[in-house]
Amino acid sequence: MPHTDIEILLVEDNKSDAMLTIRALKKHNLGNNLVHLIDGAQALDFIFGKGEFEGRDMENKPKVIFLDIKMPKVSGLEVLRIIKNDERTKLIPVVMMTSSKQEKDIIESHKLGVNSYVVKPVGFENFSKTIADLGFYWIAINNSPEF
Amino acid sequence: MYIIKKRELTSVPVEEPALQQEEEENQAAELMIVNKELAFQKEEKNKRTDELIIANRELIFQNEEKENRAAELVIANKELAFQNEEKEKRAAELIIANKELAFQNEEKEIRAAELIVANEHLKKAECQIAELNIGLEHKIIERTAQLEAANKELESFSYSVSHDLRAPLRAINGFTQILIEDYQDQMEPDALEILHEIVGNSGRMGELIDNLLEFSRFGKQNVSMVNVNIMEMVESIVSGLQKENSDRQISITIHPLHHITGDKNMLKQVFINLISNAFKYTGKKEEAVIEIGAYENDKQCVYYVKDNGAGFDMKYYDKLYGVFQRLHSSNEFEGTGVGLAIIQRIINKHSGSVWAEGVVGQGACFYISLPASN
Repeated sequence: MPHTDIEILLVEDNKSDAMLTIRALKKHNLGNNLVHLIDGAQALDFIFGKGEFEGRDMENKPKVIFLDIKMPKVSGLEVLRIIKNDERTKLIPVVMMTSSKQEKDIIESHKLGVNSYVVKPVGFENFSKTIADLGFYWIAINNSPEF
Repeated sequence: MYIIKKRELTSVPVEEPALQQEEEENQAAELMIVNKELAFQKEEKNKRTDELIIANRELIFQNEEKENRAAELVIANKELAFQNEEKEKRAAELIIANKELAFQNEEKEIRAAELIVANEHLKKAECQIAELNIGLEHKIIERTAQLEAANKELESFSYSVSHDLRAPLRAINGFTQILIEDYQDQMEPDALEILHEIVGNSGRMGELIDNLLEFSRFGKQNVSMVNVNIMEMVESIVSGLQKENSDRQISITIHPLHHITGDKNMLKQVFINLISNAFKYTGKKEEAVIEIGAYENDKQCVYYVKDNGAGFDMKYYDKLYGVFQRLHSSNEFEGTGVGLAIIQRIINKHSGSVWAEGVVGQGACFYISLPASN
């Protein structure tokens, strides 16, 4: 997949949720430069240009990472910790997008330096609207650092 | 009496008559003295006699007195003798009583000895109880901690169950809507109807999950008691529902409603459920008539919501407050059947009670009672 100025990195293991997310973003023209990965290990490989993404230009950083927490292999919190602890990647905005409303997850994420924490709405309509709002905010309104 | 004899003149020298006369005069004088003496003694004798008579009378009187005294003494003696008898009887009784007391004292000492033993047992038991209590308290602290942990587990279990259930539901609901949105031009009306059924049912399932979660949440919450203005609360609920149902003919009467002590949020939920039920089940009547009131009864404050709606069959009264139990099909009236179950749970937490009356086709009246505020 050609990585040209990636805008959104979506790390989501649930296929349906990923499909609904991508559709909601595409509907509002926010999903054109979106990469979807399905677990934490893949995400780290991608960001640091290692493993199956050996050779990818690390400088090509996403404008925002939408990160789920509950994922196989490497959990979202672990990915968050690694990203935020590395000088090269700590400036990338990370939005936790998860079904977990647990206070301890919220606190832990903020301790690790998450930029935003969003609980996935349960109803389809709300879900789509929230994804669209998030995409619009982080791509169009928020100013990420020029990498 | 002296008889004074004249001395006989015998051979007495005829003496000179002067000497004889002197002697006669002497004798007469002596006689006179003697006579005076006699008279005096006679007087004395009389006096003495008089005195003796008086003395005798005195004696007789004193004798009488003595006899009276004697008679009294006799009576007194009889009295004394009687009292002595009594005294002896009393003495005999006292002896018996003393024997009794002595016996009871022995008994008392036996009892006292037993009590001392019993006391020692009691003291031991007290110590044991104190130890047990300490043990119990530890156990209670342990159990409470366990319960709290279990509750927390249950809460996160419920939460994750509901979320894990909701995720695929979101997908079913969402993709079906997408299908309709993207492909409705290419579909037969029948196909679209089927898709709408899927959307509807998955939506309903989401509601069920929500309601179930809500129901279990109300079960775990603790009540925080404050003074609640029920009148204000009900008025606001009613005006909200009236706005939503502005196209309907609804006549609502709100009688004066007492303040009550209770958990504000929970009570609000109760009245929302009761009143929106009244609105819902009168949906098929031309003019809905709803009445909300309260009265006091035996330290309880009873609130009621009455409607002229579909009512229910008293035959199924037992099912009324069951979770997910409904007495009407969802075709007639939508709903999941948790509303009343939640009300019952909340009111039970307030130590109150719920009940209802209904007549099919005519209406129903739902009552809640809460302990009256002082």
